[in-house]
Order: sequence, then C-alpha cells, then structure tokens
Amino acid sequence: MSNIKRVAILIVVVALVALVGESFNGSNILDRAIVLGIGIDATEDGLELTAEVVSPGNGTEQVGTFSKTVSVTARAIGEAMQRVAEKTGKEASLGQCVVLILGQDYYEQKDFSDTIEYFIKHDSFKESAVICCCEGTAKDLLNRGDALSQSVSLSVATALLDEAENVAIYTNNLLDFARSQSELHCTGFLNKVKFVPSENKDAQDPDKMQGFFSYSEMAIFRKNSYVCALNEEEVMGMALFFKDVTGDTYVCDDDGLLKTLKVNDKQIEQKLTDDGGMEINITLSVRFGRTDSEEVSGAITAKKDKEIAQKLLDDVQKQATELANKFLAKQAEYNFDLIKLHESYRRKQGTSSELANKPTADFPIKLTLKVEEN
Amino acid sequence: MKNRVKVDQLALIYLLIITGGKFTSLPSLLAGDLGHDSWVSMCFSFLWDGVCLCFLLWAIKLNSKANLDISAILNRSVSKVVSKIVLAIFFVIFVLRTNILLTNCYQMFSVTFDVSTNWLVFILPIALLSFFAIQRGFNAIARASQLLFGIIFIALVALMVSPLMEADLAALAPVGEAGWGKILANSYTRSFWFSDYIFIYFVLDGVKVKKHVFTPILVSFGIGAALTVLINAVFVALFGSFAPDFSMAMSKIGVFSVANTTNGRWDWLTLAIWLLSVFIKMIVFIFCAYKCVEKILEKNFAKVNLFVALFITATLMLPMFVSTETLLSTFIVWALIPFTIVQYLLPLFMPLLTKVALKKTEVKHE
Repeated sequence: MSNIKRVAILIVVVALVALVGESFNGSNILDRAIVLGIGIDATEDGLELTAEVVSPGNGTEQVGTFSKTVSVTARAIGEAMQRVAEKTGKEASLGQCVVLILGQDYYEQKDFSDTIEYFIKHDSFKESAVICCCEGTAKDLLNRGDALSQSVSLSVATALLDEAENVAIYTNNLLDFARSQSELHCTGFLNKVKFVPSENKDAQDPDKMQGFFSYSEMAIFRKNSYVCALNEEEVMGMALFFKDVTGDTYVCDDDGLLKTLKVNDKQIEQKLTDDGGMEINITLSVRFGRTDSEEVSGAITAKKDKEIAQKLLDDVQKQATELANKFLAKQAEYNFDLIKLHESYRRKQGTSSELANKPTADFPIKLTLKVEEN
Repeated sequence: MKNRVKVDQLALIYLLIITGGKFTSLPSLLAGDLGHDSWVSMCFSFLWDGVCLCFLLWAIKLNSKANLDISAILNRSVSKVVSKIVLAIFFVIFVLRTNILLTNCYQMFSVTFDVSTNWLVFILPIALLSFFAIQRGFNAIARASQLLFGIIFIALVALMVSPLMEADLAALAPVGEAGWGKILANSYTRSFWFSDYIFIYFVLDGVKVKKHVFTPILVSFGIGAALTVLINAVFVALFGSFAPDFSMAMSKIGVFSVANTTNGRWDWLTLAIWLLSVFIKMIVFIFCAYKCVEKILEKNFAKVNLFVALFITATLMLPMFVSTETLLSTFIVWALIPFTIVQYLLPLFMPLLTKVALKKTEVKHE
C-alpha cells in the first residue's frame, strides 16, 4: 500500500470516528435530576407531584450527599414530570426511582389508572420499584427527611423491600400492583405508610422533628380505585397466607408470665375443593421471641429440645386463627381477593369472565391452622 | 474459504446467535399473540428448527471431504436459476433480520441507556465492522465470538437468575389455553424469527469437519433453545397481561435483577455485555448477505467489494422509510411462503441435494 493511500485511509478513519463520536447524544450526568422517589397528591383540577431528587453537582458542590424535594402541579403525570424538569432546570431521570407514594386524598378520591399506566409503560421507571400509599399527603411524607436524617424514599423502599417480610408485612411492587388491578378479579393492595412522631431529646436541636414510619396498615383497590382499608390485625391475618412472610409475634399467658412466641417458618398447602372453594392448611413454626437476630429456620437446622408448652402453642393457634378469619371475613365482605382464589382456579380452568366476576364470598374456604415448635 | 472454522467454534457462535436478538421484541409479540402460552409456540418453533438442523448437519457430514459451498451444491443439484432465486431469498431474509436487530438495538440504546443518534451514524460503525470481519474471513468472527462467549454467557445468566426466582412459573398454567391450533399456526407465522442455523449454509465450505459434527452443534442448539424458552417463560410469568406492552424484553427482565435499592443499575452493565451477542448476530447476517450477493454474481472477490458493501449498507437504511412494525405485519407476512421454503424445506432436502451435487462433481472429475 502506498503512503498516500495510508494517509487517505487514516484521514477517512479519523473523520468517521469524529462524526460518529459527535453524533451520539448521550446525556451529561450533570444535566440530570436523579429522582429517588415520587409522591402524588390530589388538587382540585389535577394533581401535585413531589419528587425527591439528587442532583449531581460539579467539583465545588456536595455531590449526591443531599436530596431535596421539588413539587409541581399539573393535570396529568406526564405534564408534571415536564414541570419538574422546568423547575430544576435538569431532565428528570426516573431510572433510579425506588418508590411511588400515593397521597390519601389522591388514592381515596380518584381513579389513578392513568398514573399507573404512565409509570408501568415508562421506559426507564423500574417495574420492581415499591408502590405504597400514605396517611395525609405524599408531599408531607417526602419532606420528613430531616426527621429521619436520611432520604425518605430510600427509607421507605428499604423497609418495604427488605424488612417487611421479616415483620409479618406483605408487600408488592409496581408491576404486581398494576397486574392486580387489570387481571382477573382486578383487586389488590398497597401498604400504607404513616409518619409517627417521636419525642426529640436532642438538646442541641430541640425544635427538630423526629419520628419514624409505620407500615402496619393497608389500603385495598379495585381497578385503581379505593375500596377499603385493612387495620393492623387484618394485615397480620393476611400475612398468615403468604409463605415468605414471617416474624409475627403472639403474646401468651403461661401461668401468670407473659411470653412472646415468634413465627420463624411457615408451611402452606392449598387445595381446590369440589365445591368450588379452597382448603388451606397453614403450619406455623414458632420459637420464643428472645433474640434480636433472625434465627435460621427450616428443615436444615440444628435441632433443639422442645421447650414450649402445648397450651402456649394452642394459644398461638387460637390467636392466629382469629386473625386469619378476621382477614377472610373482610375479604368476603368487600369482595377483594388477595390470596389469589380466582388465580388458583384460573390455573386449573383457564380464564373466563364468569370466573373473573365471581364474588370472593362464593369461594368456600376451609382453613386449618397448626402451630408447632421449630 | 480461507481460515476454516472448527465445529466447536461453529457451535459457540450458533449458541450466541440463538440467544442474541430473541429477547428484544419477539417475546412481547408472542405474548400479544398467545398470552401465557407464548413459550409453547417457541417450543414448537425450536422443535422444527431441531429437525431441520439435523438434516443440515447430515449434509455437512456428507460434504466434509468435497467442501462444496451452498451455491455449488444448488447449481449442480437443481439449476443455476433456482440457485440464484434461493440465494436472493436468503439475501432478503438476512437483510430484513439485520434491519430488525438494528432497530431493536437502536431502541434499546435510546430507551435503556438514554443514548440517541441518527440512524445513519448508528449503522455506519456496525456496517464497517461487518465489512472488516468479511475482509478477515469467517474465522475472525468465530474467534471473536469464542473470545467473548464466556463473558456474554455470564452476563446472560446474571440477568436471568434473580428474575427466575421472582417469577411464578405456575402462572403459565393452564398450558394450551390459547388453543393448540392457534399456537401451531403462530409458530408458523412467527417462523421468520427462528431457523438461526441458516447462516451455516454460507460457511458450508469453511467448516473443518472431524469426527463429531452433530454433538457439539446439537448441544449448543439445546442449550440456546432451552435458555430462550426459559427467558420467554419468565418474561410472560413476570409481566402477565402487560407483556405485550414491553417491546424490549431483556431490558425489562433485567430490572428484576436489581430489586434491592443498594446495588444500583448493574443490569445496565450486564445488558450492555449481552448486547454483544446481538452485534455478533448482525455481523454474521451481514457476512451471509454479502456471500449471497457474491454467489449470485458468481464472483469471488479477493477483497471486500466496495459496490457490494455500499449496496448492503444502503439496504440497512430501510428502517428510515418503513417502521419495523409495518414490515413485520406486511412484507414478512406476504413473503412467509418463500421464506419457509428456504428456512424449513431446503434443510430437509439438503442431504439429498448434497449427494446429487457430490455425484455430479465425481463424474466431472472422472
């Protein structure tokens, strides 16, 4: 190859590399407002969206240390997200968003199908993100960061994603919720987050609000519209029907001494019955709740001698059965289906409008609950 | 063909080609057609692929000494005219499949990685890379695939594990709810997406055949088919009625490998690595399209022919004028019969055609 040819090829290659490099429009990280959590509240003519954002700064700023909230009003979610960008001067990036919180007025009064559709079909919003509702406004909740001394979105997401299953609270994510509202019986739930203030004993900053979040209640929805709420006992009752959800505690009287027993494993068997119902056999494995660490449970563990009296196990069985029945009664009364009765029959019979419209109360449930020492 | 490839290399590249590109828009299309039964349709497609592959491998075995290329086999067994028609159909298939893969990649870059550019600048580096690979020979592509295979496969498995745990595969019951007739018909109407073995036709003369031909390639096919069906099943089980709405299946499945808040978006990293298999698939298809033109023109260019390269690059501009959705619902439906002939009937006759061609070659030599 002659030298002229070599030089010509080099020039062409350099020109092409420059052309290709220049033509890719990547987004500069400094131009992005990274959204960690979104709260939505109702207004008279639309909604108010509050986003907890982290804006990466340049070298002289404190990079990614602090989050701040931005609130905008709009008629629809898409417009609201656009206004967040206008307000922050940066494009809102939803790829890292971990939680979506619906304010009380919003979820109780409105059909929020359009909001769910927006986020579920959003290209970068994670379907595995947590979705929940809250007492009061989502804006207030997201502004409790000072009281917690950390990001509200990350606290709520971590609690619901990682911790809830160990303290007998069943949770779901955006995809599960969206599916529950559009498939078969079209009913599902959202965990309800409540801010509980606590006493501030910090002498250096006595006016600072302190507190924690409580997750012990739930709200039930049908086709993205509010149906009813579940109280703490009903939520505990519901948790009994899910294998991976453990950590529920029962207080029993042992000859004048109050003893706490904790569920650390669970076996559930479900059988469809000939009368169109379901037989559910739940076996709870309990231990004395003495340690603060999560004990390893299941069949592959070192055996320990039995130490729980039968009458305590009977007491736990009675309490748990009561809780489960309370939940089942509420489920039948308000015609929602969180334990997938309709889905179990769909897997056997296939999808039909007759099955989808069948009231939950028409599924006779035979519940057997056993308690044994682990 | 210079620098012939080993059967093991061919098996690895085949595995990458099966899994590359089938996790973009195909799962959502199948879910739209059949709901939770889409994986069954995929099973039928792979079953037929397996049968055809066995016949094709038999032809390779017969051809192991003579090393005739596809054009020579068809020219000597049927006729030059038929041969050119078959090669022209192959050319259209390769160009269309490359265009669809390019569109999917383009979408994935802009949607998942938030990187966008114009179509021309997007395809130019890929076309250049492909022609560089053609210049170096198929062996270069095979070696690059061999080198990247480990990391791509690890990325694929890493993307899969967590969503697999998350998915309730029992939700795929009852099997066949969409109707067996509809499922079978669907596996035919979506056949365009399958029969990845067709690239083997264009390396027939470049495979170094020793003892084992069937085992490595069939093992690769089995693993690739099983992984593809599994990922499709996981996708449908996870997304249920929303599955048809997500045209980028892998990017959405990957979201479930980052359920915790602490590990950021490492699915983006694994997804980017997995995309290498899509690029390899596109390069192989462009290689095959180039070979089609070469054989139709009855030329054997010593170097990459600039005009052929420009012509193929021009065909990659198609998505600038017709959307992939329109292409899939119009032209590909109209062309289903000729495509089926070369994708599914030709392999069944390949051993016979090879025998005839070999016989004629022997007579010629005598």
